[in-house]
Amino acid sequence: MALRSADRALSPVDVALRVAIVGLALSTGYIHSTLGGVLFTLNAIGYLVAAVAMVIPLPLAVRYRWVVRLGLMGYAATTIIGWAIQGPYYTTAYIAKAIEVVLITLLAIDFARMDGNPVTVIRNEVADLQAKFGRRSATNSSNA
Amino acid sequence: MKRLFLSLCLVVLAAITVACSGAAADNPASAGPVDPNAPVITAQNMAFSPTTLDVTANKAFSLTLDNRDGAPHNVAIYTDSSASSSISVGEIVSSNKSTQQVPALKPGTYFFRCDVHHDMTGTINAK
Repeated sequence: MALRSADRALSPVDVALRVAIVGLALSTGYIHSTLGGVLFTLNAIGYLVAAVAMVIPLPLAVRYRWVVRLGLMGYAATTIIGWAIQGPYYTTAYIAKAIEVVLITLLAIDFARMDGNPVTVIRNEVADLQAKFGRRSATNSSNA
Repeated sequence: MKRLFLSLCLVVLAAITVACSGAAADNPASAGPVDPNAPVITAQNMAFSPTTLDVTANKAFSLTLDNRDGAPHNVAIYTDSSASSSISVGEIVSSNKSTQQVPALKPGTYFFRCDVHHDMTGTINAK
């Protein structure tokens, strides 16, 4: 089985990518925080939380960093789609969307480098879960 | 390797610089000239005041937005609350004033809103 991202040390390129992703997430989060209103503020908080989740050295966060990557990609994509539907179309918004496009691109590169094929990752995780639950139910039945 | 690292650093630095100046993108110099006789709509604490504006029908007029919030706002006038057909869309400004030209309106009721914050709305009565 291939090494998970949590199992291998970070190269300088990995670190650079991670720094870039956090910087871009914080940048677009900052822009949203200046727009006022509940929706934009929540969006900014979302980017802040995702940026922290990308680097926090907690074992759980490290283990499920791939979820954070996919989640942040989806979050940025949803933000772009939401903006495309309802605007507004002006300079600051275009800057934020450009940052989000670069963010998604870097996240995809980071995912490919650290985790490989997303379908394989999800399949492995499902297999892990099934094995864990299978083991647990086997232990329960032997104890009964 | 070093080159890639430097490139990524430059991308992030550029993004942070642009993000921090993002609000300033709608800079005061780009706001339209302010007409002292124009009806004024004030944006403060994420709300318009007044929310109902009476204007003379069949006569073009200038409308000034006095945005006292740090958040960006504009006044966009639409035929109705579906906001599907715009009549006059003002410039988005932060902590600044801007004046827009509104074409002559036939007698009736029109809807206006901030295009950034759709919950900021009001009504224009052309009589």
